[in-house]
Amino acid sequence: MAEVHVIGQIIGATGFSESSLFCKWGIHTGAAWKLLSGVREGQTQVDTPQVGDMAYWSHPIDLHFATKGLQGWPRLHLQVWSQDSFGRCQLAGYGFCHVPSSPGTHQLDCPTWRPLGSWREQLARAFVGGGPQLLHADTIYSGADRYRLHTAAGGTVRLELGLLLRHFDRYGVEC
Amino acid sequence: MAAANPSVFLLMVNGQVESAQFPEYDDLYCKYCFVYGQDWAPTAGLEEGISQITSKSQDVRRALVWNFPIDVTFKSTNPFGWPQIVLSVYGPDVFGNDVVRGYGAVHVPFSPGRHKRTIPMFVPESTSKLQKFTSWFMGRRPEYTDPKVVAQGEGREAMTTDAWEAQEPQHVACVAVPMWHCGTLSSNLPQAGSVFHPLRKMRTKTCHIKDSAC
Repeated sequence: MAEVHVIGQIIGATGFSESSLFCKWGIHTGAAWKLLSGVREGQTQVDTPQVGDMAYWSHPIDLHFATKGLQGWPRLHLQVWSQDSFGRCQLAGYGFCHVPSSPGTHQLDCPTWRPLGSWREQLARAFVGGGPQLLHADTIYSGADRYRLHTAAGGTVRLELGLLLRHFDRYGVEC
Repeated sequence: MAAANPSVFLLMVNGQVESAQFPEYDDLYCKYCFVYGQDWAPTAGLEEGISQITSKSQDVRRALVWNFPIDVTFKSTNPFGWPQIVLSVYGPDVFGNDVVRGYGAVHVPFSPGRHKRTIPMFVPESTSKLQKFTSWFMGRRPEYTDPKVVAQGEGREAMTTDAWEAQEPQHVACVAVPMWHCGTLSSNLPQAGSVFHPLRKMRTKTCHIKDSAC
């Protein structure tokens, strides 16, 4: 079986209108992939930027996959939320990016979006907070039902992922 | 040695904690430590250290320089749990108590060669305003009992942090860490571009890096 190590960090987020952000992240893979070590999902701490607008999490990611096929190459999906001083959480954006497929260190910038509702819901969000959220998180990384959504842009999440590949040459895959 | 157990590899990390930019604070010292997985073990060098106390220079740069050496070698059989370096910076507050000014962590780079990393630092923040005032007044800021928690992913959802406080928005507080490393390996090892090469080629490369580092 070929093996893939994904080792890196979710560095932080920038460009969001809200401060005090945290991120829930997860990695989705196809059926041929098996997670040997590491946690597949997690949540960062809440960070309030004091200098500039970049919220830094420096959240480590360390995963070891074994796979029999290239289909279902890992995808990292993110949900960025903001927390206000009362402890209420509001969605700031959804985003996803594929884990790179070449070995080495990669700097990734993942753009995010959030669903807009009707004008009533947008008005309510401006005054009271809240706003529509996805029922099924797999819409974040799949394109199947996206045409139903009307969304607005959020900020960008910065990641640094390093990739180590092993035994891919046995299967005739050149990396 | 490596020939008897061909899946063991070494990771040598040489470098320094070079300097910091903290616009608001002065007279700082830093501590470093390494966090790594169960398959890793340090074989040489110090995996923890405390630097000297440094003050901002009087010239226009206002630099905080430690130039604090890091020299450690790890051995492992598995890239999972790749070492991270955790830095904690401490300094005196207005009452003279030693308080934490920032924590930061970064993975040791994968590829051999010279790398310079700038690490953002953050401090834990109390969620209640009363506790914030009390901790400022008493000099007992929220601090992690074990700084290694900064390098772990689990349990972070319970934390709130400030990514570095300063009134002037120009500078992000950071610590620059130039690093060299190389690894010896066997051909069973993962391909990571230039990190892992056949053992015989690596011997030559190791000597080359050591010479030019002096």
